[in-house]
Amino acid sequence: MSRLPEPKVNWYLPAIFTGLGITMKKMLWNLGNRSKMQTLNYPEEKYDYSPRFKGTHILTVKKDGSLRCTACMLCATNCPADCITIIASEHPDPTVEKYPISYEIDMLRCVFCGFCEEACPVDAIRMGPEWQVAGKNGSNFIYGIQDLAYRPQLKGGIQTILDDGERSKAGI
Amino acid sequence: MPKCTINGKQIEVAEGTTVIEAFMKLEQNIAHYCWHPGLSVAGVCRMCMVKVEGNPKLQIACNTKVTEGMVASNEDAKVKEAVEWILGFHLINHPLDCPICDQAGECGLQEYYMTYGKYDPAMAEKKVKKKKVVDLGPTVVLDSERCILCDRCVRFTSEVTKTNELSIFNRGDHAEVGVYQERPLNNNYSYNVVDICPVGALTSKDFRFKQRVWYLKDFNTICNGCSTGCNVKAYYNENGFYRIKPVYNKEVNGHWMCDTGRDMYKFVNLEKRQTSAVKNVNGTSEEYSPIQATREIGVLLRKNVNEAAAVLTGQYTSEEYASFFATMKDFGIKDFYHWVNNPEKMEEFDGLLLRGDRNPNTAGLRAEAKKANINLRNAKDLDPKKHTLIIVAGPEVQAFYPDLQKSVDAWSKSQTLVWLSSCKNPVLFAAHWIVPMKSFVEKNGTFVNYKGIEQKIKKGTTIVGEALSLDEFAIAIKGERVDVEYTSPLGGLA
Repeated sequence: MSRLPEPKVNWYLPAIFTGLGITMKKMLWNLGNRSKMQTLNYPEEKYDYSPRFKGTHILTVKKDGSLRCTACMLCATNCPADCITIIASEHPDPTVEKYPISYEIDMLRCVFCGFCEEACPVDAIRMGPEWQVAGKNGSNFIYGIQDLAYRPQLKGGIQTILDDGERSKAGI
Repeated sequence: MPKCTINGKQIEVAEGTTVIEAFMKLEQNIAHYCWHPGLSVAGVCRMCMVKVEGNPKLQIACNTKVTEGMVASNEDAKVKEAVEWILGFHLINHPLDCPICDQAGECGLQEYYMTYGKYDPAMAEKKVKKKKVVDLGPTVVLDSERCILCDRCVRFTSEVTKTNELSIFNRGDHAEVGVYQERPLNNNYSYNVVDICPVGALTSKDFRFKQRVWYLKDFNTICNGCSTGCNVKAYYNENGFYRIKPVYNKEVNGHWMCDTGRDMYKFVNLEKRQTSAVKNVNGTSEEYSPIQATREIGVLLRKNVNEAAAVLTGQYTSEEYASFFATMKDFGIKDFYHWVNNPEKMEEFDGLLLRGDRNPNTAGLRAEAKKANINLRNAKDLDPKKHTLIIVAGPEVQAFYPDLQKSVDAWSKSQTLVWLSSCKNPVLFAAHWIVPMKSFVEKNGTFVNYKGIEQKIKKGTTIVGEALSLDEFAIAIKGERVDVEYTSPLGGLA
């Protein structure tokens, strides 16, 4: 490995004063133009992210309020962080056939890449807009079906755009 | 012996060979659904189209015999177009429920769709909806919508099991596979129809929704369910074993295996296993490491050499027997007994594969005893009062030994009863010592089947890291060092 060449001048004071100069200039400019400041006073002020922001996951629901997820495990297969655990089971209704009895995402392992959303063939999982998540210890961050689909912020669940029942009636 | 050219390669085949068999011999890819090497030719799926030179129309390879000088090919653009259209017809009424379907990942339709898919469907009509989740019997579930009517399952029940439970009912796009009223698919070979189903129409109740197939690893081994010794593939992942499927072996089992053998994975998973050695004295039990326990048993054995006896079952490998016999003879033990689960049913045979002798290596045990000049006596003649120490190499599949409890109780009247067992069972707590053993998926060795065919089993994985095989037990009982592979605390799967 080649090393960087030794600096020809060993004086560091000019560089320090240049840096401090920039800092002072920015500070004085900010004091004069507070509305154009680059920083936010979090948590009083919050940044508005784009609608495509990838935040906490949402499991969508069908019209009757039951989970859309068919437990195909493509999200778990695609997950690079290996944070999704699904246990599938037989549904009493033969038209539904398969559904998850347990769907857990370990939020602390999740890297919010959105691959689960991309892999899902039935619009059952989406990345929501929420990003401020709090918890007292690690176990609070393992989200089950209740947290993912029916947490209070979702107001009874987000409805899916793909309904198998309707598709079946339409002969697809 | 006609000679023919397949995809530009020359081959000489036996008289009466079909073109698809010649393709298989040359390991050429050819699409097929209804043709199965173990069943008769039906010619219903039309997927195996080939171009035969001199013939104006395409032919199906499965029902065309090879003739002298025949030149056949499936690499022609005309063949590819025909197969594309045929696959398109198969998919007209096939539902789009791959996410739910258990076959996804090993499905014939998915595989050929990648090669021959017409990605722009020409069908504008609605799909015909049929019954889903139809209960065909205690083992198999049918989804009529997914069925492509290849009729492999129907031919299987009529030709192999000859029970004729399945049939195709109705006509045209209403045709579906089904069972006759009050005659469910209930034979001991029913899981084979799940294996041969090229799509997800027939799924196994045992495996349904337990695991996606792409999460499973597999290795070849020998079924330890009976003395036939079917060649099988065991599927597992880090959570345990999930299923067993047959592997073709012309000499032993052909293409099939019985439903009894399919259950053999259930005895090897961690929740069923004896994980440490146990010493039971006066109603209290103490846990030992298997090696330590074996050494203590060795000390006891030295004291009681003249009154000791060993009982063996045919559920261990030949190598283990050889090592065990050698060690026991070194100690000077003279009494060896052979414990058979069902002496009156030993020679039974169901006509296909399953034999009454439910031990994979009875022949191996007898051969090794003969080699070591040991006279194996019937375990029924064992008098526990005459022996102060009895070592029992117990059965791995305890369900096949109905007299298990009776035997444990009877033999525990001896001063010390040592039981070697891979499965944990409360019945065994009458024994004074229990030592955990390796199951058939965790060791290398040989099983000799009823015909005398020697078949190797290979270690697939480790479930209980500390468990011993019978030969390791034989080394440890002498007080010598055994290299045990220690895995996670409970010996999780490696």
